[in-house]
Amino acid sequence: MANVLHLEGLSRRFGALTALEDLTFDVPSGQVVGFLGPNGAGKTTTMRAIFGLTDLDAGVVWWNGGVVGQSERRRFGYMPEERGLYPGMLVGEQLTYLGRLHGMSANAAAAAAAAWLERLGIADRAKSKVEALSHGNQQRVQMAAALLHDPELLVLDEPLAGLDPSGIDVIGEVLATQARAGCCVIFSSHQLDQVENLCESVVIIDQGRLVVTGRVDKLATSGPRRLVVRVEGDRSGSWASGIAGVTISEVKGGVVRLVLDDDVDSDSLLALARGAGRITEFVFERRRLSEVFREAVG
Amino acid sequence: MKFVLIPVLVVVAALRIWTRRRRRQTSPRSPRPWLTSIKSAVGLVAVREMRERLRGRIFKVGTVFILVVVAAAIIIPVLHNNSRQPPQKIGVVGNLPVSFRTTVESSAKGVGDTLQFVAEPSVKHAKVDLRSGRIDIAIINGLQLVIGHPLSATNSSVDAQLVLALAKNVGFARAVQAAHLSTSQSETLAAAKALPVTSIESGRKRAVDSTSLIGVILIFVMLSQYNTWILIGVMEEKSSRVIEVLLSAVRPIQLLTGKVMGIGLVALAQASLIVAFALALSRAVGSNLTHGTAPLVLVSTLVWLVLGYAFYSWVYAAAGSMAERQDQVQSLALPLSLPMIFGYVMALTQVSSGYPTTLLKILAYLPPTAPFAMPVLVGFGAATWWEFLSSVLISVACTVGVARVAATVYRRSILRTGGRVRVREVFSDAWR
Repeated sequence: MANVLHLEGLSRRFGALTALEDLTFDVPSGQVVGFLGPNGAGKTTTMRAIFGLTDLDAGVVWWNGGVVGQSERRRFGYMPEERGLYPGMLVGEQLTYLGRLHGMSANAAAAAAAAWLERLGIADRAKSKVEALSHGNQQRVQMAAALLHDPELLVLDEPLAGLDPSGIDVIGEVLATQARAGCCVIFSSHQLDQVENLCESVVIIDQGRLVVTGRVDKLATSGPRRLVVRVEGDRSGSWASGIAGVTISEVKGGVVRLVLDDDVDSDSLLALARGAGRITEFVFERRRLSEVFREAVG
Repeated sequence: MKFVLIPVLVVVAALRIWTRRRRRQTSPRSPRPWLTSIKSAVGLVAVREMRERLRGRIFKVGTVFILVVVAAAIIIPVLHNNSRQPPQKIGVVGNLPVSFRTTVESSAKGVGDTLQFVAEPSVKHAKVDLRSGRIDIAIINGLQLVIGHPLSATNSSVDAQLVLALAKNVGFARAVQAAHLSTSQSETLAAAKALPVTSIESGRKRAVDSTSLIGVILIFVMLSQYNTWILIGVMEEKSSRVIEVLLSAVRPIQLLTGKVMGIGLVALAQASLIVAFALALSRAVGSNLTHGTAPLVLVSTLVWLVLGYAFYSWVYAAAGSMAERQDQVQSLALPLSLPMIFGYVMALTQVSSGYPTTLLKILAYLPPTAPFAMPVLVGFGAATWWEFLSSVLISVACTVGVARVAATVYRRSILRTGGRVRVREVFSDAWR
């Protein structure tokens, strides 16, 4: 049976502040799910709730049909937003210790630690103290800590923050591999282009409430058609102004992005553009995740 | 030894019965994997704490330093007691009859001193020798003693005692001679003994003063050191944010218990090493630390070190969970240490006074001060085994209560960052 994490009706208030309000969504296995929302939307609170790190006013976290408890959580992997490791402890020893806390034997934990350090490109730092590592390498160690016990669910809060492009590539490849192996993967990020590249599905929340969820492909093709036009000699896109049913969403570098109502004929638009000059680009565009996000959270 | 053995056995048996009954009541069919998981998590945390602490330079240097201090406290008094005083040089001006010389010699022996007679040709010459230190006391014609400096009323040195004894005994000998008593009468008077004086308190207490003193200092130093480790250790896990990673795998109570146990075992190992070292060294050099009730006081010290640590460690751990920075820890540490300092000072005062007061007996039953007061009472011989047991039971019961409250505070505070957590906030509904 495929694993599935189901969050049902999560609510949490901190005094007058509503962090979560009746939040419900699923994280299926085999997919990388992006968890998006503006700052203060409740992403970190949700992730902490999965691990019982914050009390809930209402709601239940389910794992494969059962309420999540301590024994289930030991099979999950977690990378918190605020990175945390023992600064004075050796990297290898620290990972082995964390693996053992997740129920691994000493030998298995040590072997897994070595394997993950190798895969993440920092095998030579196993005997270094964490405090001696660069920020990026500390992040890789933190990633290894979340992965080394072969978790069934991987919850990562901003795993890409502060990484260089090669680091992002490595983490992205690891997440995809884990998902293909049947792991449920959910991670939060503000780097929407990266999320779009890495994720099959996204969950977008705002003010503690779910606003959009679905597969990235479907979200990109849903909604009104988007047309990208470049006309030589008309960098301001003035030719498209005032056309009924056509909204200019962006003009940048001579490229005009248009949002078309259902009844707008693209051939007539092509003719109008020709009238303005030589057309060097005329293509229908998928909705980008950033646009989905902006539309969802205003 | 029953002072310690009986209470310890009773407490261990009671705890085992209590935990078994509680386990049956709360989870009659408790699955083994769950229990094993808890035990292994606590054990793993404890082992990590022990390994990290034992590796630390502070522990190694601190242990060596304490051993050196203990060795000095044992060896120096022995050396002082064994060191032979040079013989007192008694300058004799004029004639000193044989019977008087015998009186002088017996007086010196009576105060634990030895002497050597030096013939002086004149009083003037004797005074010159007194000033130069070549002689210590001059007897002028058996009629007068001359010394370099006047004796103060509070001077209790051996030299002062010898002067007073000579003055009294030689004067007495002169009186006997002047009375023209018969030989038998003289011998009877010479053989006169002072009346025996007995006290209603135990005569052993002086012998254990140094042991109690060492015990009280040891408890204070070790409780201060190890509770500070707990306080800073908890704060560092919070400030480094590793706590969130740890609590995603283990329960707060497991983490807290493991930390308290790990550091506690290091403390117990260090204290046992120090006590064993003290006993072995005392036996080797012939110190009075192995005589009388001193070994009992040392064992009692170990027991109360464990109980004191158990009581205070939870309080310090809870406080550490409320802090996030070093300066916050310092502001928390002072009020926490006040009961310890009070108990420590009171116990030291009582040891030096030589008598257990009512206040000390009361403090011996209060868990925050009992670790200091009860070993001192044992040293005085002023605690029966059942009084010792009562104090142990009160301390254990209070520790259980304190641990429950501390675990709640810890759970509610440890994940809250962004400033020091106030007690009021911990118990308010907003931060459940």
